[in-house]
Amino acid sequence: MLILGIESATEQVGVAVGGHEGVIATFEVTRGRRHAEILTPAIEFVLRNADVDVSEIGCVAVDIGPGLFTGMRVGIAAAKAMAQALRIPMIGITSLDLLAFPSRHTDRVVVPVIDARKSEVFWAMYRQVPGGVQQVSTPTVGPVDELVADLLARSQEALLVGDGAERYRDEILDGYRCEIDAPVHPSPGALVQLAHAKALREEWVRPNEIEPIYLRAPDAQINWATREQRA
Amino acid sequence: MLLRAESLATTQAIAAALAGVARPGDLIVLAGEMGAGKTAFAQGFGRALGIDEAITSPTFTLVHSYPIPNSKHTLHHADLYRLDTTGDVEELALHELAEFGGIVLIEWGDVAAAAIGDHLEVRLEHPDDDDHDDEAGDHDGGDDDHDVDEDEVDEFGLDGARLITLEPTGPGWAGRWDRLATVMESFRC
Repeated sequence: MLILGIESATEQVGVAVGGHEGVIATFEVTRGRRHAEILTPAIEFVLRNADVDVSEIGCVAVDIGPGLFTGMRVGIAAAKAMAQALRIPMIGITSLDLLAFPSRHTDRVVVPVIDARKSEVFWAMYRQVPGGVQQVSTPTVGPVDELVADLLARSQEALLVGDGAERYRDEILDGYRCEIDAPVHPSPGALVQLAHAKALREEWVRPNEIEPIYLRAPDAQINWATREQRA
Repeated sequence: MLLRAESLATTQAIAAALAGVARPGDLIVLAGEMGAGKTAFAQGFGRALGIDEAITSPTFTLVHSYPIPNSKHTLHHADLYRLDTTGDVEELALHELAEFGGIVLIEWGDVAAAAIGDHLEVRLEHPDDDDHDDEAGDHDGGDDDHDVDEDEVDEFGLDGARLITLEPTGPGWAGRWDRLATVMESFRC
């Protein structure tokens, strides 16, 4: 059974296909931010060049964020549409998991940091476990100095990855001594690999159970004095 | 910056002048009562950017997007009137639309200013409507002989005089403020 992976939660848009033999094709564009225009032709390109017929796909995996709201919705909508049409299950994996996974061989704390715009970042912390990484702090959104405070509070050797770490490199390094390294974006290849491990355990869901992770500030009621007065 | 428009045409001329100074990345909040001319302002703004398509109120669709001719940029016209929470506003990801080559006009954006971030507010008011924003409802003394009834605010004609206040939040407009003042010179009160 093959897995189609769709990843569009950051400025990158990526597609990969693979299965028990590993990732067999992958496509990534990190420039231009035209997720909606690129994604469908990219899926077609990857499947055609890997000589994979759509009917061979047994599961659609998708990055469910956090990240760019506009970006991840494109990927999630396309992934759901394909899974619905093909009547196959889905696996949703967070962008933070995807960023941490390639660094699974380090014994440092791995901290994926994603640019949340408006001077904020999303982050979580991971530790190496046999066969992968395990999240040791819940995903958080906040200003960069809160991330630095979190790192200082734990005072462990840390490896930071992701476009948020890249964008705020100087600010982070001023506050905490650590290493900032690749990957900058979650990769569709990692998505297929992680999803394959889950698929073997049948940890999939129906398309309607896939929801994006927005991780935003606490919700508040809008003060609609004007509108209520009119209503 | 306080401006005065004597007619709808002047309001749209002010919108056109602002469009000349605006650039991709800008979030522009259009504030003012029902019928104050927010959509008319957006129409003047869009026309100045060369958009031929009819610009209509996005109240029910939340965001309308119009490609700006001869550029890679887009004008997004949003309306928050139907939204109930700041989370709804954040889900529109208006700052993302701005960041990726967009100029974003946001009707009723003033009610959720904190969820929008740095922006320029354009407030449109009827000249006789000065104290309607005053939540306390205190009339400020004897010199207001018009005493407009709250319920009549909708009924002032679209083609009327307006007071227009431009006010930036955040540093995005600081470098352009002098230029904006120059193009708005003839409309200043």
